[in-house]
Amino acid sequence: MTGFLGPNGAGKTTTMRMVLGLEQPDSGTATFNGARYADLPAPVRTVGAVLETAFHPARSGRNHLRVYCRAAGLPLSRAEETLTQVGLADAGGRRAGGYSLGMRQRLALATALLGDPPVLVLDEPANGLDPEGIQWLRGFIRHLAHDEGRTVLVSSHLLSEMEHTADRVVIVGAGRLVREGSIAELRAGAQGPGTVLVRSPEAGRLADVLGAAGLAATRGDDGLVTVRGATPADVGARAFAAQLELHELRAESSGLEDLYFRLTAGQEQFAATSPSTSPGTAPGAGTADPTTPGAAR
Amino acid sequence: MTALVRAEWTKLFTTRVWIGLLLGACAMVAGFAVLFTSFAGNAESGLPPVGSEQYEELILATAANVTVLFLILGIIGMTQEYRHRTATPTFLTTPRRGRVVVAKLVGYALAAVPFALLVLAVNYAVVAVYAGARGDAPALTGDNLRILASSGLALVIYAVIGVGIGALLRNQVGAIVGGLVYLFVIEPIIRSIPATSGAYKWMPGGALEALTATFEGPDLLEPWQGGLLLLGYGLLAALLGTLLAVRRDVV
Repeated sequence: MTGFLGPNGAGKTTTMRMVLGLEQPDSGTATFNGARYADLPAPVRTVGAVLETAFHPARSGRNHLRVYCRAAGLPLSRAEETLTQVGLADAGGRRAGGYSLGMRQRLALATALLGDPPVLVLDEPANGLDPEGIQWLRGFIRHLAHDEGRTVLVSSHLLSEMEHTADRVVIVGAGRLVREGSIAELRAGAQGPGTVLVRSPEAGRLADVLGAAGLAATRGDDGLVTVRGATPADVGARAFAAQLELHELRAESSGLEDLYFRLTAGQEQFAATSPSTSPGTAPGAGTADPTTPGAAR
Repeated sequence: MTALVRAEWTKLFTTRVWIGLLLGACAMVAGFAVLFTSFAGNAESGLPPVGSEQYEELILATAANVTVLFLILGIIGMTQEYRHRTATPTFLTTPRRGRVVVAKLVGYALAAVPFALLVLAVNYAVVAVYAGARGDAPALTGDNLRILASSGLALVIYAVIGVGIGALLRNQVGAIVGGLVYLFVIEPIIRSIPATSGAYKWMPGGALEALTATFEGPDLLEPWQGGLLLLGYGLLAALLGTLLAVRRDVV
């Protein structure tokens, strides 16, 4: 299972559509088992895809699946089997237009599974799902990948969705490959300083002590001090040496999330364009985070 | 290809569009047949009397007046793929998109045959009862039969043309509105202006008239030539649609 990560607008969906032959790339090719998607002898039995949820609202979920069974030369019984697989067996006779967002995602998954393909390409399958739905989806994808041994490429803009399920991740930003590797490799590269939150009744002195030690400390409200480029151990040691009372000491984010943020920060299309195109009209957007690398680039 | 055609039939018969259009076509044909028959022989209407050869040829070609509904059937059949974004799973299942267009052309042509037969049956049944009550029901022989069959053929060809236009334009509302404007605004104007009426016989409306019309009209092709030309327009639209529009990125 490979996670395909990047902020919104980074080019994940476009990449997946190009891989599946729905859009034409300016250059380059993508292959499954050595063949381009359009050249696969039995595409539906090789690759299953969940892109945007697409169905005729007046057609029932079961009939929607039957259409693609017919077109792909699969037995109509596959429609019933995949409906059961995704937990839609009871709703199969209802018009798909009346389905909830979660049911639509399940129907899209059922469509992808019709040909029982060894490869699955899923574009943001968790988008719009409620927490229960996300939990079901995670378990289902893990089952497809790890228990049934399918190759799964799943995209997301959230690292947390991938951190515990994906074997490898590919990170893109602004249409370019930023990083690629196993979660373990990425984590190894991410070990080390992150952002630390520390709270003390003597926040002013603490900030001075940390500043004197060369750490970038900024004071917030309510005795909070934010320290960038440090570990909780660094900060704790300085505070202990200065005999400062602490009420809280924690890493704001895991090193991995920090790394993902650094790799992709400012590459969201909104953040990259709004300060430069409308500096006068949107002061809030322009000054929201002066440390965002994208603003400086 | 058989599988793809059957998939198109599954798509067609699992929504209710076809029922509405078919009932509409039957109702319109029945209505027109009643209207024409009730005024037949009326000196002020200019319609020939019941029992005359002209009346029978006119009344058995009534179906040619509802070709627009078969056109819309074909247009919806193609453009709903884009409107409801099912083009994505359709082209994922069949990456060679030209095959999808061919399957739709064949599927809609074949599905239009029983639809057209039903419309013709309604047409003839109404005429047989009403004209029979007025003294003389038309016989289903010779020219009468040929005219009835040509009208049905026109319905089938218009469904094919609809698929072709849909493939070319992709936008459902645009394709339907464009089709209606062409049929009811552009062609009648071209037909009525002497300077351009010579070209009319080569246009789809002129071809339809050649295939089905019975009144003395403008200069027209032979019926069989009209039918072929009409079919040619449908296939040309589908070919251009496949080359220019269907291959474009699905967004």
